[in-house]
Amino acid sequence: MLKINNLHASVEDKTIIKGLDLEVKPGEVHAIMGPNGAGKSTLGYVLSGRDGYEVSEGSVELEGADLLDMEVEERAQAGLFLAFQYPVEIPGVSNMEFMKESVNAIREQQGKESLTAAEFLKKAKAACKQVQLPLDFLKRGVNEGFSGGEKKRNEIMQMILLEPKLAILDESDSGLDVDALQVVADGVNSQRDGERSFIVVTHYQRLLDYIKPDFVHILADGKIVKSGDASLAHEVEKSGYAFLGKKYEEAEA
Amino acid sequence: MSQWLNEVIESASATSDFLAPVRKQSLRSLGQMGWPGRRNEAWRFTPLTSLDKRQVKHSQSATSAEVPVIEGLDALELVFVDGKLTTDIETLAAPEGVSVSSFANLDDKQQQVASDLFGQIKPHHHVFGLVNDIASEQGIFIDVAEGVTVDKVIRITNTVTQDVDAHTRILVRIGKGASAKIFEDGQGAQASMSTAFSEFAIEDNAHLEHYRFAMMTGEAMQVGGTHFRLGNESTLNSTVVGYGSELSRLDVDIIHAGEHANAKMNAVYLLAEGELFDLHSNIEHAVPNGVTEENARGIIGDRARAVFNGRIHIHRDAQNTLAELNNRNLLLSRRGIINTKPELEIYADDVKCAHGATVAEIDDEALFYLLTRGVERSKALVMLNFGFIQELVNQMPDAAIREWLLPKLSERFAHMEVK
Repeated sequence: MLKINNLHASVEDKTIIKGLDLEVKPGEVHAIMGPNGAGKSTLGYVLSGRDGYEVSEGSVELEGADLLDMEVEERAQAGLFLAFQYPVEIPGVSNMEFMKESVNAIREQQGKESLTAAEFLKKAKAACKQVQLPLDFLKRGVNEGFSGGEKKRNEIMQMILLEPKLAILDESDSGLDVDALQVVADGVNSQRDGERSFIVVTHYQRLLDYIKPDFVHILADGKIVKSGDASLAHEVEKSGYAFLGKKYEEAEA
Repeated sequence: MSQWLNEVIESASATSDFLAPVRKQSLRSLGQMGWPGRRNEAWRFTPLTSLDKRQVKHSQSATSAEVPVIEGLDALELVFVDGKLTTDIETLAAPEGVSVSSFANLDDKQQQVASDLFGQIKPHHHVFGLVNDIASEQGIFIDVAEGVTVDKVIRITNTVTQDVDAHTRILVRIGKGASAKIFEDGQGAQASMSTAFSEFAIEDNAHLEHYRFAMMTGEAMQVGGTHFRLGNESTLNSTVVGYGSELSRLDVDIIHAGEHANAKMNAVYLLAEGELFDLHSNIEHAVPNGVTEENARGIIGDRARAVFNGRIHIHRDAQNTLAELNNRNLLLSRRGIINTKPELEIYADDVKCAHGATVAEIDDEALFYLLTRGVERSKALVMLNFGFIQELVNQMPDAAIREWLLPKLSERFAHMEVK
């Protein structure tokens, strides 16, 4: 599904990702953990193609295609989805209008027929219910006046509607109480179908109690320094990132 | 004095009709006032350099032009092509209670009413208004009788097909308690110079729904004015839409002459690369208890320039006035320019008055967010930035005009590049 090879990337001339390798196969869930400043969010932005995130070395393939060669929207159309840590508020553009445009842009690219307004509405309502957002959220401006938790749920709703091949969840757990966390996790788990892959980026192990990863990677200083199964997350939870060396111990304290 | 203005004056002096006394007065004023340069505050940001060396060109041959049809619009269509009225106005089936006539065919009584309007509502300081006074041979007088409600939209289209100087004039009286919808439409991209001025007397308890679309583009220069006088308890709902061209300027004056009048004006301008559009609005609250709400919003493309001047003048006696003015602009490029100036002059002490002006650039973060959801870039820009213009368009009372306009605007916008 996704192959990242020796990726180096910088923001404003500061190198953040320094030789990252990762392979995600269809249906797998990979968790990426790491201390603050390790490059976790940067990875999501680089993969989605944000302006200002420069790749200086390495390659990324999504289903064999050169991801780095694609425009932001083409990456989404190819099946990549990024759930933002801080989703932006866009007053004046309704959730509904936005998602319909988005779903149909992606369907068109994949050679599927556009959804009619009625078909879309039905799907949108179901997705809205699934993440326990009131239906009137569809009519409201994108994330406009939403609480932190509502924004995160809105991201998951979008993921459900867009049916990506690979979803990157950037700290989808931050700022959530246990109930909201459960809703987000249920939303993600409902989309696990053996084909769709996930990269779950998180600072804490907590989310991984709800979304069971197949692999856990520790990202530090722009590289994956340790990989393992779900038990690695528990290890981190218990003893922090101290094993990475003194630098991170201090940073955490 | 400019070469162009000299020629206009020379060729216009011969015009002699029932409006001659006013035309003569305007000619004198024009001579005293002279050509407005950059030091003239009203023209500070809008250079007239492409006009002042122009040679006056008279229309050589009679032409006709196709005017875009607005589907679903029940309209009485009046068309000026190259400054000449091409509609056979005398045989037109005007709605009951409405008389529509050209200046040349007014009876004595109508001439009396028309001369009470001509040059009487439009303030004298508009140089091009004076030009139009002396040069507008062709004009239309629309009289809506007392108490009559007209459902049809009276649409007056100005279009240019050749390089001419075209001066057209509209005079409208909406009688007491009457209600009408008038749509002034300007179309064309042919190199030319036109002035189109209109004066509206909205009498007591009357209502006017009004549209003025200044949509000439390219090398079509247009300077126009729409001027309203509001009677007691009258209402005005006006929508202005502006495209830019080499020179495009519109002056709107709303004069609260009667108490408890309510004026609402929305203006939208959408300027493609290199275009210029200048909107000057002036609201005069001369009497107490008037209400004005004005919203102007524009999107300005690369190397384009918008000028917005919004003046609200509340006279000493105009207590209990409620006036709001808001102007918002979006620049698509660092090389786009907006000169915006809200001007409040308040001489009464018991009024509520608010104004604001903002200028913004494209929100990169929001754009990125939409792109990550697979929305095409051009579409994303329309969704993000068109919304705030669309909000005003959606307030247009006439659904047919709205449905016609929206796709035109969004297509224009979709072709505008963000740089």
